[in-house]
Amino acid sequence: MVRKPAGPARRAMHMARLGAGVTGSYLGWLAQQAFLGEEERERRLKRTHVRTARRISQELMALRGPAMKLGQTLSLQGDLLPEEMLAELSSLQMRAPGMHGSLVRAQVKASLGQEPDQLFAEFSEQPFAAASLGQVHRARTHDGEDVAVKIQYPGIRQAIDSDFAWFRALSRPAQLTRHFPRNLIDELQEQITAELDYGREADNVILLGNELAFLPFLEIPRVVPEYCGERVLTMTYLEGVHLDELLRTRPSRAQRDQLGEHLFEILYAQVLQVGAFHADPHWGNYLFRTDGSIGLVDFGCVKYLPQDFVDNLHRIFLYEGRRDGPEFRRLLEERYAPRARLTPAARQALVDFSRNFYGRVYPPEPALDERPFDFSDPQFMKDYMRGTLRITRARGALPEYVLFSRAETGLYQTLHRLGSRVRTSRIVRKYLR
Amino acid sequence: MPGPGKKGSRARRGAAGGRAEARPRKRAASKAAMRARIVRAALELFEAQGFQETTTKAIARRAGVAEGTIFNYFATKEDIALHFFELEVDHAIATVRSSARLRRAPLEEKLFALVQSQIEYLTPYERFIGAAFVQALRPSSAFVLSQRSWDLRARYLDFVQGLIAESIPGAERSLVTWLAPQAFWVFYIALLLYWLNDTSPGKQSTLAFLDRSLRLGVHLLEQESRGRSRRAAPRRRVRKPRRAR
Repeated sequence: MVRKPAGPARRAMHMARLGAGVTGSYLGWLAQQAFLGEEERERRLKRTHVRTARRISQELMALRGPAMKLGQTLSLQGDLLPEEMLAELSSLQMRAPGMHGSLVRAQVKASLGQEPDQLFAEFSEQPFAAASLGQVHRARTHDGEDVAVKIQYPGIRQAIDSDFAWFRALSRPAQLTRHFPRNLIDELQEQITAELDYGREADNVILLGNELAFLPFLEIPRVVPEYCGERVLTMTYLEGVHLDELLRTRPSRAQRDQLGEHLFEILYAQVLQVGAFHADPHWGNYLFRTDGSIGLVDFGCVKYLPQDFVDNLHRIFLYEGRRDGPEFRRLLEERYAPRARLTPAARQALVDFSRNFYGRVYPPEPALDERPFDFSDPQFMKDYMRGTLRITRARGALPEYVLFSRAETGLYQTLHRLGSRVRTSRIVRKYLR
Repeated sequence: MPGPGKKGSRARRGAAGGRAEARPRKRAASKAAMRARIVRAALELFEAQGFQETTTKAIARRAGVAEGTIFNYFATKEDIALHFFELEVDHAIATVRSSARLRRAPLEEKLFALVQSQIEYLTPYERFIGAAFVQALRPSSAFVLSQRSWDLRARYLDFVQGLIAESIPGAERSLVTWLAPQAFWVFYIALLLYWLNDTSPGKQSTLAFLDRSLRLGVHLLEQESRGRSRRAAPRRRVRKPRRAR
């Protein structure tokens, strides 16, 4: 049974309850930790995370739109949230309440001037995917082309602003304990607001479609401008199944490795060559096909990287010298603290992470290029999350870094679930200048 | 309604003229066409220069008829406006009734479609609707006090009541659901005011407000009706075990 979506009053109540819940959990933990030993404190914190996360996902489920999106985004923010929270939040990934047919009609008419039945040869009443800020319907144009029509919820911008105002006020204790860095909330709000601009999204699709056309195993939809408006975005429909469905078919070792390498290359081709990347690694956005090719959808969140950030990545990736030496330290400072000096603690966290995590997952020696890294290793994901959490706590996150690490986390989580073995350094080296 | 038939192309007089075989029907059709013509002309003037400023003479000129002809159809310009609101309600009810899709839709969607089609109908005359509000608030207002406007409101709320009754079982026996249409009327007026003052692009806030408030309202109605059946249920449940013993 789908829970009733909230009206304005209930919406506020849900947000308040959520805030009170989160705040209560963390306040409780803060109060207790004064009296507890180290080990007990860790254990209780874990329990707090689970309790908080369950509360967050329950309350967010009852809301629609932005708060929902916030939950999904947080669930992918693996490096900034503890693992226990992630497990709860990831249950939000594919579920979202929807707009009824009459509202869909009104939205399409308001945006394109005609009702869907007049515009399209066929228009399916039921959405096939629930984008969190809207929903996606299948349709067929009069030319016989299969398309996906993305339709935005009405009044979503105001809802975002009010949700974030609540969230900011109510997550303050979590901000104090640094489980919730403040600039992360700013970045999330900016990015979620940007996702409402369907014109911008169409530009993203066109740009990445052109720039990544050279990858034979990747398909990106084509925008159909005749059916696009302010709150309606129409693209060609892509076939394929989601990760969960793919895993149910028990893909072979070779298939999983191949898909893993493709996923990996898709991200690094974007970051290192295009300088812009699809930063919404939600599982619903990857469509897997039996021939090993991958369809990528939903370009609402595309990050355009500053040139110096990309240049730095080119120099820092597969760095062959000493990672505790002065040159590498300069590269780290350039990347993580362009306007300030790193504190010794932050620098140490970064050097350790770079050596112990990146050095292991991306071995710099060309001789090791053919040796794949096995992403099914349960330890690596934990190392990754612990390392990035330590860095964030030590220095906070740069906006570019927040989105890059979100994409990276999404990639690692998918590769981990696929159990892929990927020749990481070989693929990255192809794109290094 | 007469079908287009073979003779359809013969006559081209008026919007509905010439298609009917029977004379009285033909006359009724041309009368309706004239009425529609006058209403359209009047509404365009109400919208462009305001209700107060529009004279019946100007309406006649705009419609291309003699002023006397207008009085064959409407006594006053208030009558013309009322007739427009009657057409609006007819249109909205017909929209909901004629849709096969809506027949199986949940109550909130039916009500949404009803109000949404009203708003769409009113959209070209937004300025006039705003002015009509002010007009309607005057103590002597013909919009509020005339028998016709009461009848119109009653017909509209009857329809709403019918929609509620077909979606919520036992609704007609409940005081709350009996009051629901009255509450709906207040809600509808509030929504129109909200719509008139909505400055968001494409009046998106009105759509959002309409959707969310209807969901909330229908949810409350359903809870109330569920509460009633639950209050009735325990008596039966208590009796059962006794019988078993």
